Parts: sequence; C-alpha cells; structure tokens
Amino acid sequence: MSNKTTAKEAGTLTAKHSIDARDLLVKYGFIAVTVLFFVYFAATIPAFRQSSTMFSMLKFTSVVGIAGLGLTMTMVVGGLDLSVGATAGMAVTVAAMTMVIYAQQGWVAIVAVVIAGALIGAFNALLIVILKIPDLLATLATMFLIQGLKLVPVDGQSVSSGLILRDGSVAPGKFTSDFLQINRGSLGPVPYPVVIFFVIAVLSWFFLSRTKWGRVMYAIGSNPEAARLAGARVGRYKAVAYMMSGVYASIAGLILASRIGQGDISAGNSLLLDAVAVSLVGTSVLGVNKPNAFGTALGAILIGILLTGTTMMNFPYYWQDVVKGLVLLVALIFSFTLSRRKTRFVAAVPL
Amino acid sequence: MTTLRATRRKGILFLAILLSLAIVAAGCSQDSGDDTTTTTAATETTVATETTEAMAAAPAPFDAPPVKIAVVQNSGAGDYFQQWSSGAKLQADAIGIEYTWYDAQADNAKQATDMETAIGSGVVGIIVDHGQTDTMCPLINDALAAGIPVVIYDIAVQECAPDAVQTQQSDASLANLSLSQMLQDIGADQNVGYVNVLGIAPLDRRHVVWEEYVDQSPWSQEFFVGEFTNAVATDNAQLVDAALKANPDVRAIFAPYDELTKGTVSAIYENNLEETVWAYGIDISNADIEVMTADGSPWKATATTDPNAIGAAVMRTMALELAGEQTNRLVDFPGVLVTQAFLLDNAITNMVELRSAMPELNLAEVQSADWIPSVEF
Repeated sequence: MSNKTTAKEAGTLTAKHSIDARDLLVKYGFIAVTVLFFVYFAATIPAFRQSSTMFSMLKFTSVVGIAGLGLTMTMVVGGLDLSVGATAGMAVTVAAMTMVIYAQQGWVAIVAVVIAGALIGAFNALLIVILKIPDLLATLATMFLIQGLKLVPVDGQSVSSGLILRDGSVAPGKFTSDFLQINRGSLGPVPYPVVIFFVIAVLSWFFLSRTKWGRVMYAIGSNPEAARLAGARVGRYKAVAYMMSGVYASIAGLILASRIGQGDISAGNSLLLDAVAVSLVGTSVLGVNKPNAFGTALGAILIGILLTGTTMMNFPYYWQDVVKGLVLLVALIFSFTLSRRKTRFVAAVPL
Repeated sequence: MTTLRATRRKGILFLAILLSLAIVAAGCSQDSGDDTTTTTAATETTVATETTEAMAAAPAPFDAPPVKIAVVQNSGAGDYFQQWSSGAKLQADAIGIEYTWYDAQADNAKQATDMETAIGSGVVGIIVDHGQTDTMCPLINDALAAGIPVVIYDIAVQECAPDAVQTQQSDASLANLSLSQMLQDIGADQNVGYVNVLGIAPLDRRHVVWEEYVDQSPWSQEFFVGEFTNAVATDNAQLVDAALKANPDVRAIFAPYDELTKGTVSAIYENNLEETVWAYGIDISNADIEVMTADGSPWKATATTDPNAIGAAVMRTMALELAGEQTNRLVDFPGVLVTQAFLLDNAITNMVELRSAMPELNLAEVQSADWIPSVEF
C-alpha cells in the first residue's frame, strides 16, 4: 500500500533541504523502525509470517486506524475530538438496536449509524464553532454525554438477540448475516475491514494533501486568524472536520459491531487513547511534523505489528501498554528533538 | 556551538535507539521459553507447587513435545484470572504444551481478532476463556472446521458449537454444597433472606438451585435484594441493612457470591443480629477467611473452587482432547464446602493453609490420566 505514496511524499518533501544523516533519520527513521520490527518478528516467529496473521493484524488495526484518521481531521484544524471512542461505542449500540429491537435490515443499521455519527459531529461543531467552547472541553463533554445516553434506551444492557424488552416481550430481530459480513467477508484474500480502512486512508490523504480544502484546513490549524483574514470560512471548515471525525468513528463502530455480533456496551472503551496515539505517532512519519493521513495509517499499522508480535511472544498484557508508550515516545523524539522543522501537533488549546 | 548541539543530538539519538533495542531485547528473553511472569505469579499464590508423576508413556501428540496451542482469553486481569492463568501455564509446562497467550483485556472485538490470529497461526488446539457467545461462537466453529479442537471455559456455546469441549466450574454444585449446609444448620420451615443479582450467568445458575431449596425445604423467602455495582460489598450492605430492619426474624441469608456475602455479614453486624441470623456464601479468599473466622461471625459456610486448580484442569482437558481421550463435551469442575467450624478447628487464616488442609481443592484427579503429570497447589 505504502510504496507509491511514500515515493510521492518523499519527492515533495526532500526538495527544499539538502540531505544529511539526521534529515534521513527524521524522514525515514519511523518507517525504518516499522520495517525493522516487521522483519524481526517475521524472522523469529513462524506464526507471524502466516498471511492469515497479517490479515487479522490489519483487521484489528483497521478500527483504530479509521478512528485515528477521523481524529487526524480535527487535529489538522487545530482541535482534538475526544469523543471518537464514545461515538464508535454508540455506533455499536445503534446498530444493535436497529437490527435486534427494531428488526431492520443490515443496510438500515449502516445508514442509521452513519447518520448518528454525523449528528454527533454536528453537535461537536455546534459547541465549538457557535458556542465557542474550546475543542478539548466540548468533545470531553460530548464523550460523557453519549457514553451515558447510548445506554438509556437499552436500560444499560448489552443488546443481543433474545433480549427481554421493558414491556416483557422478547426482542424480535437479530444481527443479519449480511451485516456480519462487514467483518467476516473479504475481497479476494483481503478482509472487508482492511479494504474499508485502505479506501478511507487514501481518500483522507487525497483530501488533506491534494485538494484546496485540505490546504485551507492546515492553514486554519496553524493560524485561524490569518486564515480568516485570507478569506477562509473557518467555522465551516471546523464543522466539516468534526462531522468527518464523527462519521469515521461511526464507521469504526460498524466494524466493531459486526465483529462482536451484539450490542456490547463496553465496545469502543479503549479506542480513544489508541486513536490519539496513532495520530500522534503519525505526525512524525516522513518528518512532516503535522497531523497527516498517511502517517496515521502507518502509525496504526506499526502499533498493530508490535501488538501482534509481542502477543505471539507471550508478553503479558501490561507490557503491551509499555510498548505503546515507548513507540509514542520514540515518535515524539523524532518529531520534537531530532527534527529541524517547527513541530505542530494540537494548536494551543486555551485551558 | 554546532558541535555541541550535534553531540547533544547524538546522545538523544542513542537514547532513541536504546529504547527500541530494549523492546527487542525484552522480546528475546521472553522468547527463550523462560516464562518469568508465570513463575512469579505462581509463587505469590502458592507455597509449593508439586507435580504428580506420570505413570505411563504419553500418547501422540505428546510423545513429541512441544505441542503448540493458543489460549484466547477475554481478560487476564484481576486475582481470579491471574490465578487461573498461572495454574493453566504451570500445567502446560508440566505436560509439554507450548502456548501462545492472547489476552484481549476485556475488549470483545480484540478477542475476536485474537481468535482469528490463533486459528491462522498453526496451533493444534485452542482454549477460549470467557467471552461473548455471539462473538466467539462463529469463530469457534471456524476453528473446528479447520480441524483445530477447541476447549471453552465458561462461555455458553453448547447450542451453537456443540463440537467444542465446554468446561465450567459447577455453579450448581457450589450452590448445593452451601445450601445443604444451611439446611442442616437451620432446618426446615424457617424464614430466610436472599441476596443475589440476576442476569449474570454464574449467579443465574446458582439462583436455580436456591429456588429448589426454598420450594422443597420449605423455607419462606422474606426478602430478595441485591445489585451489581463497582462496590458490591458496600452497596449491598445498605440494601441488606434495610431488608433486615424490615425482617429481623429471618434465620439465615443466602448470598451466593463472596462480595455479596461480605455485604450481608456487615449488615447483620450493623443490626446486632449475628447471634440469630446466619450467612451462607459462595467463593473464598484471604479476606473472606478473616471475616468468617472473626469472633462471633455469622458467616457459617461457603463453597468454593481453587482458580489455580481450575486453570490447570482446563489445560489437562485440552491435553485429553488432543490425545483423543476426551469423550464428554461438557466438563463440570466440582466445588468443596468450607465451613466456619472447619476453619476454626484447623486454625486456618489464609488460602495457603486452606489449600494444604483441603487437598481436594487441587482437582488433581479431575480430568487427568496416567500419562498426565497433574500440578498441585
């Protein structure tokens, strides 16, 4: 997936600087680390080499990657959407309710979930753009709101077929088999979640790096006032970024729902921090030092490789958090310490 | 100036590389098969682990170890699962099973991808510990279809995956043990109280037994309270307190989960009823033993299993299944009764002393064979 993109990105980036060792390290260090780990695991763990392992790793990565790409959109305009995990969790409950309680078809559930995601994004935009609440605080409030609200219609229960409803009747529907295919199906050997992840990553990269709108979003992120004076409609762009984030998170939730096969109320709980981590790791890829789609996707894959590899080496679960922390730290060192470019992550948040 | 900065950068670069190397190095030491975590966990929970001698030559595939399996666990965190995992790992080492341990950290979606990875990783057997039926069932069937035997611990899959071996601690036996002691202590025709939370699979299975006892003893159930929260003991103490104020004439209370029992016991103390109202529970821990053996404690009996022994017995079930010797598809691990009198008579103050006083907690004879060295705790 990455070869073409890498070459293009690298081409545009190297033009201005003369190449020395440190520049090389900043640009390719992270990719090199990824490749090194991949080769190391592949050489030492026979099971890691299996193509089925690769695909289940990418499947696992796809959910974090998609949520991270949405988060990247909001980071580009200088914000941070803390509600992505909760949105994905809500998507799981909405999908389960649509199919199990209202006995609707799978495609209805998909439409309902995406609309719900867009609405949450719009709600965030309302808080941030119109009510002028700082991004972090607004999305934190949204996170708690939807974490709780999603449980109201289901009385705090996980929604699965055979659920007893409030009036004592049994829920009439179940997860449809076509909906379950979102996670279980595949295009040739490539599972659908990986296909969805790839398509969203490419579209996001194209949108941010190759369109006028993407450039305006970066301009807003680095200096909203200057962007406004230059004629950009800052509020609208921010609103779009948050709605994209909501929709992406709900798509991640669709994959989760299909994977779990029931309205698990704990779904999405661990997603937020993982999504933040891959987006931050992504800023260091290719020495770009700003949030970017290619980096986020690669960051997600690197963390997927590390988690799969360390699991196969029987690292206890707590060591996996240590590994994630080290990866993030190394990425931050590449970005902040080694790079000559001025680094910008999240623009100043007035706290 | 430039040199200074360059030196500093080199130092930082070195640090970065060091960090990366640390990850790799840590990986190497784990890979060598010397599982230090397991050993530590085991010594924390047991005084001495002994292994029975294998009396016969091992059948295929155990004649050519290591036999590679995967354990796909919903969550390995918490005292119970730490002990369960530690027991299973020790038993695996004793038989010559090499395991890859997947821990989804209570993330059901991650457990699903873990299962997929395990199926594709070339193992000859998979143990699935806990998880959601709807999530795991299709994957368990995928594994069985790929010719990989699956042993389940405590997920209801008998209907959707009848070819998997389903193991569970016998909640019915635990409830029976505790309730038969209660019947013996207080007799028939008594007023009784009940503390339980329905909708949680093991507690539901205990509930079925309770209803039988109430019907047949017969007892008159004066109250039924209980809620599942983040602080079960404290929150249920308030509920039972209120229920006891309304019904101080009950003779005994059944609270079939130790956190519920602890809450019940403190409510009994609160109402100064420890002379007349007795508590019966399920499960035991160091803290529970302290409560049970306190002066004048109303907690008269509990029934329990040893999570270490259960983990080991599940691993032996995997071994039997791989050797083609496991015929039943359902395996229940029996519990044992622990009475207050037994604890006091033997001056037992903690789990280690309890294990040595009650060798039947070991389950060493359960799910074993003459070619299997059973671990004991």
